[in-house]
Amino acid sequence: MSTGRNQKGAETPEESSRRNTASERPWIPVTAQMPDHVMALAGIPAKTFYWDARTFVDAMAKVTAYYDMDGLMPAADVYNFEIEAMGGKMVYSDNAMPTIDHRVPIIKEPEDLLKLHTPDFYRDGRLSYALDCIKLSAEFGGWQCGIFCAPFSMAAGLRSYPLLIKDMRKRPQFTHDLFNFIIDDVLIPFLRVQKDYCGVSIAVSADAWSAIPNLSVRELREWVEPYNRRLIAKAKKLGVTALCVSGQYVEERPEKFDVGLLHAGFDLQVADQSSTPSISVHMGPWDDFPLECIRAYTEKYREQGIETAVRVGINPKLLRDGPADKIASTVKRVINTFARDHEIGVFLSNVPSDTPPKHVHTAVAAAHTYGRLPIADNLDKVEFKPFKRESFQEWKAKVARDDPGRTKGDPA
Amino acid sequence: MTDIQQEIKKAVLEGEDAAAFTLCREALKEGIETMTICKAIMSGVQEAGELWKQNVYFMSDMIMSAEAFRRAMEAVETYLSMGETGACRPVGRRVVIGTVAGDMHTLGKLIVKVMLQANRFEVIDLGEDLPCATFIDKVKDLNPDILGIGCYMTTTMLEIKEIIKSLQEGGLRDGVKVMIGGVPTTQGFADEAGADAWGKDALDAVEKAKQLIRSS
Repeated sequence: MSTGRNQKGAETPEESSRRNTASERPWIPVTAQMPDHVMALAGIPAKTFYWDARTFVDAMAKVTAYYDMDGLMPAADVYNFEIEAMGGKMVYSDNAMPTIDHRVPIIKEPEDLLKLHTPDFYRDGRLSYALDCIKLSAEFGGWQCGIFCAPFSMAAGLRSYPLLIKDMRKRPQFTHDLFNFIIDDVLIPFLRVQKDYCGVSIAVSADAWSAIPNLSVRELREWVEPYNRRLIAKAKKLGVTALCVSGQYVEERPEKFDVGLLHAGFDLQVADQSSTPSISVHMGPWDDFPLECIRAYTEKYREQGIETAVRVGINPKLLRDGPADKIASTVKRVINTFARDHEIGVFLSNVPSDTPPKHVHTAVAAAHTYGRLPIADNLDKVEFKPFKRESFQEWKAKVARDDPGRTKGDPA
Repeated sequence: MTDIQQEIKKAVLEGEDAAAFTLCREALKEGIETMTICKAIMSGVQEAGELWKQNVYFMSDMIMSAEAFRRAMEAVETYLSMGETGACRPVGRRVVIGTVAGDMHTLGKLIVKVMLQANRFEVIDLGEDLPCATFIDKVKDLNPDILGIGCYMTTTMLEIKEIIKSLQEGGLRDGVKVMIGGVPTTQGFADEAGADAWGKDALDAVEKAKQLIRSS
């Protein structure tokens, strides 16, 4: 069975984008969260990659095309922009994404909250870079999608996780004030600017700090769910659909794995949605855990004839360490479990910077082979040939030969 | 356990840091032996670890318990520095721990540190964002049984390889066991980097540290 690549094996970013946006995919789509990996693969210094929007989006588009993925995800970061713009202490390094220095929270004492104000989204920190990344994405055929840090993770970033937990227990009124500030004075104005400047109508967030077991189900219900709902309702009035993927279950120890906790996290995700139920399992070692317990959750929808969207993440540790045949078999297992009666996409989660390209190619090829539509009744009978491609630099040179203007003066 | 020991244990278990500190000071003033107080403190955080294993406690509970443990030990340490001999001080189980350059995350390291201390390890925390040279210098100066290296980003974890390589080049590698941990790390990466052990989480790190000490 074909992996869907052309004979030259050198589809340009534009060709890739056209194919993807034209919805001509004959297979289950694969996307990836991979900025650090792209930076490393393209050999771009962090201080260019995470500051220059055109360099970032161009490199992301090229590597997305190199891997033959089915969509460009232009988000450079979903945790740090807003806090950096409010004056949060950051760590800037030569080879990594700028990150909040959690040791020195911007809100050291509760009264510090009163000193914070809505950022200038066009001037403060790297917010203009963030906006330009979203805007430029459309030029490269990417997803025109807004980004924001979910309320709980932003609170953890502003206050530090230990202090926030203590606040939740000892200073509930302050904690409510903090969440209200985050929504009313930061996130809603930020989404408004994304709508006005970039034209987004949908925005996605990340919320790793709210993952189970970082929080208990009780804490999620008390501190995460109500504020996510409030944000979503206010964003809707702006004309923006805000997606919060909170309460993901991330358990590393098989002996601790608890289906009840997994489903409680799904309950929270679904409660935040108004249309097709959609559940995400981006994090965690799903290569070693049973996928049937995810299916068990969607059974109630299937019985009612409601299609559920499931986005399963391929574990970054598996992507990095391999082996390639386990990556392929994990993708196959995901497709075999969900693809026939769910809307699914294969998501390569937070691809580590030094992941061997062969592993990413294997994941994509497996999704395109086992996920070829209509899905075969018996995937064991589908022949999978590991995909081999030249290095990124060789591939880029090949594209440059085909379209010499494409890579001229281009840092990636 | 006496009433005050029970109260200390409960305060640590439930993450009541101020209460844990005050109760320890009161117990010391009452003349209760330092070792007895330490046992109560350790018992509290060890039970938190057990509840974590059973999915009764979550990270939020663990971090509060760790903070209470830290405050309780601070009360005892303050008293010890005023003259009492160190009944709590472990011998022959020294761990030097730190986070690699470019990485500021402290949470996991704090819990590892506390769980090791609760299991009678002496832990010297070097801090975060440490250049390779600091790890090397501290191994020379402090002569630990175990060097613990943490990282929390896929970009910074590559520093671990450099540190282990530098230990080898400096002729220090045979004298210290190296344990690594942190969100992006795996057993595969530990093997690749040449570490002696990988701690999947804080409780696993304690078990691995015990094994390393036994095997040395």
